Amino acid sequence: MTDAAIEVENLSFGYGKAPILERVNVTFPTNRFSVLLGRNGSGKSTLFNIMAGLQKYQHGSVKLMGKERSKMSFSDCARVLGFLPQFHKSVFPFQVKDVVLTGRAAFSAFSPKKSDMVKVGQAIEELGISHLADRPYTELSGGEQQLVMIARVLVQNPSIILLDEPTNHLDVYYQTYVLEKLKKLTENNLTVIAIMHDPNMAFLYADHCYFMKDRTVVTPASEFDYHASDFLEYVYDVTFTTVLVNDKIMVVPERKIDKLIEPTR
Amino acid sequence: MRKVLTGFLIYGLPIPLLLYSLTVGPSQGLVFSDYWEWGGAVLSGNIHESSTKVYMLNNIIENVRLPRVLLTFIIGAGLAASGGALQGIFRNPLVDPYVLGISSGSAFGAALAIAFPLLHINVMAFVLGVASVVMTYSFAFSNNKSSIVAVILSGMIVSGIFTASLTVVQYMSDPYKLQAIVQWTMGNLHHASWDKINTAALPVGIGIVGMYLMRWRLNLLALGEQEAKAVGVNPTADKATLVALATLTTSTSVAAAGVISMYGLFIPHLTRMMVGPDNRKAMPANIFFGGSFLVIIDNFSRSLMDFEIPIGIFTMLLGAPFFLFLMKKNKINWV
Repeated sequence: MTDAAIEVENLSFGYGKAPILERVNVTFPTNRFSVLLGRNGSGKSTLFNIMAGLQKYQHGSVKLMGKERSKMSFSDCARVLGFLPQFHKSVFPFQVKDVVLTGRAAFSAFSPKKSDMVKVGQAIEELGISHLADRPYTELSGGEQQLVMIARVLVQNPSIILLDEPTNHLDVYYQTYVLEKLKKLTENNLTVIAIMHDPNMAFLYADHCYFMKDRTVVTPASEFDYHASDFLEYVYDVTFTTVLVNDKIMVVPERKIDKLIEPTR
Repeated sequence: MRKVLTGFLIYGLPIPLLLYSLTVGPSQGLVFSDYWEWGGAVLSGNIHESSTKVYMLNNIIENVRLPRVLLTFIIGAGLAASGGALQGIFRNPLVDPYVLGISSGSAFGAALAIAFPLLHINVMAFVLGVASVVMTYSFAFSNNKSSIVAVILSGMIVSGIFTASLTVVQYMSDPYKLQAIVQWTMGNLHHASWDKINTAALPVGIGIVGMYLMRWRLNLLALGEQEAKAVGVNPTADKATLVALATLTTSTSVAAAGVISMYGLFIPHLTRMMVGPDNRKAMPANIFFGGSFLVIIDNFSRSLMDFEIPIGIFTMLLGAPFFLFLMKKNKINWV
């Protein structure tokens, strides 16, 4: 295995008495596209918030590129890691390039430098959204907004980016577009870790998949055999049928109702 | 073309407007040539050797109109800048410097000082203005967290408490003091003096310069707290600094000139229409255009009628329909 970008050891966390994470052990390798899957409430977002530094932790250790997360300052962390939270909406119709520019705020205190503007240009070019640079952010479609927010994380020049459900609410075109771009980023010395809900999309694009169940990361009996339908059934509490499409394993949930009920006229 | 026009409105207007405003006033019998003569006398430095009329005019301008125009400009700039900053911080275009309870707190403080002359009116207005912001924040925080809605709601509660207390003071005051209190709550630029400028200029200046320096940070804050943390910035310190600067500016101007309603709400909207939402441009626009526009309103308020229309009423009368117009035109639905 390559070097570890993020190493989580024995991490436990909870609000008050309710545990949310229990003894999580997981290692995300560098320069790979890793995806974290699991049911709602299994602790994925909390694990992400802790890795991104939005949430403090007491028990266990989280290491970013070998350094303990809790000992890093906000701006130290910003050099290593960029985070894309789940919900974002802007009230003010900022231009796209101004939104992206705010990604440099950890490095330029009071006003952005010329080099910051250059980075903005590069990032929106890389994601193929240069034509949107002068448009108001609030008028873009959900898919375009997501790409703008990814560009905003990229201008930070991080070596790791965490994305909380980057394909949520996107149509199939933008889902594949975003995932292709994320996959491509890993070729330029970037570690990408994302939370996703669709296992098939994850199987299509991810280098590694990780699953959470009942507040911890679970692994199948034989390593990396996470396509096995009994393992997925354990994770999702849904029965799956496995199909082979162009040598790729896909899963389809089994329908429990035999017949759809005809609407009465 | 549009760019040139907005550029002029923001940066070109203040100087000629301030000079023109010196000629506005209720004094009868002054004609253009008198001002011309006065200008010549001032420039050549022999004002003491000029005619009695010009000497009198000089007195009016130096001690009445100049401090008034300057104070109006400073306060307009301060309220507009604070309004723009707070709208960004709270990510809510309906916010103005008074939602934090500053105005009713200061009004209550001023009323107390008028009714029971223990401390100077400016000091009392300032102290209670700051106190109301502190109260608003301490009510809004629970578990070290506060949401925007909580802040605005608790601002309303604090405003309610102080408005009720103000009414009690008014009820207990004798008619002369009552009149002074009522006038004060309507905005009272006609009490402008060099003294007031001396006390107000420094705090408002610090506030304005501070908010100007943080104008780009404001863009980041306006995108949201999570979004700021996501790119490695802890927004709490920035927010606290900006709120403190806005509070300093607003409570100083309320202390100097009473309550000028709606002004900090609608000027940021006007400047956003002119230069866009980017605070790097909108903040200087708020400062300069905010100053100029209040001077224009004040010119009307002291020349339109035989008596002065209190400026707070004027801004409310102008602001309310303007705001309704904006809501209809832009089909605003902020949810």
